[in-house]
Amino acid sequence: MTKSTEANTLERPSAANQAGAVLQTTAEHFRMLVDNMKDYAIIILDTSGRVASWNPGSETILGYRSSEIIGQHFSRFFPSEEVQRGKPEMELKVATAEGRSEDEGWRMKKDGSRFWSNQVITALRDQGGTLCGFGKVMRDLTERKRAEEKATLQAREIIEISTPVIQIWDGILMAPLVGTLDSERTQQLMERLLERIVETDSAVALLDVTGVPTIDTRTAQHLAETTTAVRLLGAQAVLTGVRPAIAQTLAHLGVDLGNITTRSTLAAGLRVALNLLNLQMVSGNGSGRKDAQ
Amino acid sequence: MSEERLSIIKVRDILMVTMPADPDDATVSALQERVLLAMERSTARGVVLDVSAVDSLDSFFARMIAETTRMVGLMGGRTVLTGIRPSVAITLTQLGLTLGKTRTALSVDRAFEILRDGSQQVQKP
Repeated sequence: MTKSTEANTLERPSAANQAGAVLQTTAEHFRMLVDNMKDYAIIILDTSGRVASWNPGSETILGYRSSEIIGQHFSRFFPSEEVQRGKPEMELKVATAEGRSEDEGWRMKKDGSRFWSNQVITALRDQGGTLCGFGKVMRDLTERKRAEEKATLQAREIIEISTPVIQIWDGILMAPLVGTLDSERTQQLMERLLERIVETDSAVALLDVTGVPTIDTRTAQHLAETTTAVRLLGAQAVLTGVRPAIAQTLAHLGVDLGNITTRSTLAAGLRVALNLLNLQMVSGNGSGRKDAQ
Repeated sequence: MSEERLSIIKVRDILMVTMPADPDDATVSALQERVLLAMERSTARGVVLDVSAVDSLDSFFARMIAETTRMVGLMGGRTVLTGIRPSVAITLTQLGLTLGKTRTALSVDRAFEILRDGSQQVQKP
């Protein structure tokens, strides 16, 4: 092509030469880019999905040498269950219809291990619009995927750890609340607390808010709901750890906590609980206590 | 027919009322009449209403419980509700159906204790 351009435009040889040289360098630069890209597998597939070109990045990520993979169908990069579901064909179909197809999922290396891959398939068409093949770019995002999974798991664990319900005496449960109470946590606390009350046949539940930095209207309402639910079961909730700051907030908010027994310290709450149990468990002649045990 | 699913047994001076698992409105309506009638006939001192089989409690049922409690109270008896499941308690709370001042107990045993020790409890400081 360069030569014919030269022949036709003799008057301006330097400009043509320059353009040709630029074209050549650009093409070379692109080849260098593809060859040196170690973090991306850049693969050319023919129209049927067989590997036509394979860059060193592909070898690093997928493990095949170009000599052993060229001519093979790209479905071998998919786990068998994905192949059964027709995923490889689907990708090519979408790319053919829409020009590209992007996806994330587990893919197989040569040694059979899996990696989490982000891939884009682009349909390659010539100027006439005829499909010549597909370009596939893959990235190994396994580490990011694992980090995400770990973060999700930890978030769930934190929620679980942060709402423990402990039996501290026969018939007395305690739920030490630490940190900010949002709707989700309070809901979870309520479920756990009620289940534990039934399980352990506990008549008193101490809700300790010593570790709660601030209480807003919604939190206060959630706590009020929880104590109501506890009462419906036939047990009683005592709110403990009401520090001066919390007491001030509650009074200013005007939240109705009228039915709830509250105490400033956990120790005071425990005394209330023991009193309540004595009233319930020890009848006039003391036989009630024996019966209960 | 539905009325027969409701069981009212008299144990000494207490009426033990057990609700069926899935009470329809007719059964719930029958609850009030039959309990009040039994109160009159037996001069019971109180009623234990066991709903441990019930897995969903609607607003009609909740109102009926609160009402019946008040009526039994007017006839000189106390009502103790027992066996509310955690899931039912959560639903009731979220719907704002707190059953008024109805006394609740964790188990039938405790409900009987509450009714039996009622007078003694009042005398305690």
